[in-house]
Amino acid sequence: MAKEKNTLPRTGVIREYDIHTPGVKAGLVVIYAICIVMVIVSLFPILWVLLAGFKDLKEYMSSTAILPQSFDFTGYVKTWTQLDIVKNYLNSLYVAAGSVVCALVFNGLLAYGLSILKPKGHKIIHKLVMFSLLMPATISIVPLFMNIQRLGLGGFFTPLWLQCGASAVYVVLFMQFFESIPYSIIEASRIDGCSPLQTFFRIVLPLSKPICVVIAIFAINAAWSDFLLPYLVLGNGPWQTVMVRLFVFSTQQTINYDALMRSVVFSMIPPIILFVVFQKKLTQNIVTAGIKG
Amino acid sequence: MKRPARRRMPGKGKETLIAWLIMLPGIVLFAFFLWEPLLESMRMSLYHTKNVELLEFVGFDNFISVFNKADFIQALINTFSYTFWSLLIGFLLPIFIAFVIGETARSKGFFRTAAYLPNILPGLAVIILWTAFFSAEKSGVVNILLSKLGIAPKAYLSQAGYVIPIIVLVATWKGAGATALIYMASMAGINPELYEAAALDGAGIFKRVRHIMLPAIFKLGSTLLILQIISIFQIMYEPMVLTRGGPDNASLSLMLLMWRYAFGGSMDFGKASAVAVIITVILLAFTALYSVVNRRKTDWE
Repeated sequence: MAKEKNTLPRTGVIREYDIHTPGVKAGLVVIYAICIVMVIVSLFPILWVLLAGFKDLKEYMSSTAILPQSFDFTGYVKTWTQLDIVKNYLNSLYVAAGSVVCALVFNGLLAYGLSILKPKGHKIIHKLVMFSLLMPATISIVPLFMNIQRLGLGGFFTPLWLQCGASAVYVVLFMQFFESIPYSIIEASRIDGCSPLQTFFRIVLPLSKPICVVIAIFAINAAWSDFLLPYLVLGNGPWQTVMVRLFVFSTQQTINYDALMRSVVFSMIPPIILFVVFQKKLTQNIVTAGIKG
Repeated sequence: MKRPARRRMPGKGKETLIAWLIMLPGIVLFAFFLWEPLLESMRMSLYHTKNVELLEFVGFDNFISVFNKADFIQALINTFSYTFWSLLIGFLLPIFIAFVIGETARSKGFFRTAAYLPNILPGLAVIILWTAFFSAEKSGVVNILLSKLGIAPKAYLSQAGYVIPIIVLVATWKGAGATALIYMASMAGINPELYEAAALDGAGIFKRVRHIMLPAIFKLGSTLLILQIISIFQIMYEPMVLTRGGPDNASLSLMLLMWRYAFGGSMDFGKASAVAVIITVILLAFTALYSVVNRRKTDWE
């Protein structure tokens, strides 16, 4: 019993009863060594760029040391003000906030119709959504851009928000979750006099909190990271997001590499914070739902 | 629990209408962002265009002039080359990572988190970061590290033979951990009694991997394989930022060619759509393959 306490359960191929032979013990050491190498490969580039941001241009271009000569924040402050990061951060936040609302409401309602209401003929829409799961959105970026221009929607966030309302992945995730809700609960709310729409917002959505959290995180991350459509829609206008700014910055003819590395850091910080906060929920849900962001 | 009889009762017309109204906003958005543009690009590929206007119907002229440019053949070959490298580097690695993390007990959560972390970083930031890593300047980290092993510095991103594997490597660095998590889920779902029974029968660790674990993840693996092919086929951001398709179009992909026609200065949306249609046709073939594999999967179950 005492032994149980300090050894965590083994859930892989190698079981407790295997550990006693020296060969298996050596194998486990190798496995841990590989894991540590993997952690280094994952984290080192992130750490490196963080440290590179402390170097000024001259040091960045000439030094081969990973550590900067001094941890001087003036470089970071300079880039922060030079690139007007606060404004871009706020713009990115607007995009992310609107995207989350659209992702939850529009995809949620569609999935609700497809998996619970199931009106006559819903199978066609279901098939089309499944087809869109495999067809990339970027492939039709040209006509989409033209549509947006024709409707005069360019220059502001509206198309970016609405785009999150048409995600086949989120619809499928919602559908999988909705199908696990017992039909009797939905029936009961109908008997109590709720309209289908009320049932969705008062019963179905609150019951689906776990999947809503995951989709919200995915949507925030996607909205934060996207730069192609935002670049076409927002251009050099006043509503530039962090990623659009970074993209424009990286395609300039002469680049100050120290400033570029610092803006990379600035663009990475919010997703990393989001990930650290929701890390457990996210990895757990990916493991149970088998999905990738 | 289910009441199928109720579904077929008369007077359901109103409920059907309400249900369709509830789905309508989502359907409109899907139509606007995905379905209509796909059809529109097919139509546009048959027209001469000027900015956002369709000028005249030209049949397959756009396709012919796209086919006749050297960069198209180059892009087609490169795209298959991306796919090849991505399968070589990127397919087995996540399975291996999932296996290795799955065998640990202590710090498993930490390993999992670290493996997943690159996936949440913005794609653009990751590419810029790796550009700096592979830089030919004195600051290029890869050259610094290799010089410690006695390998002379090289300008990797301006050598035709290196660019595609490097771009695939960067994409794998970002995505492998997240894919590994999916495999981990599948591996964790294997009934431990199977291992125990096999062990009692005298099966060693390798035999258990070979005869229990690998068959259990086989279906998932074949699905993910096709999804990976479909996704690598659309590679565009990475070569666009990392090498701008260079050196000398060595990393130009079909999607990047499409982008160049449309937004690379000429604004030739007709030709861009022709390239898009070609990619769509190839992807449709992969999709058909995917549904065949999926059907076989359900047959087995």
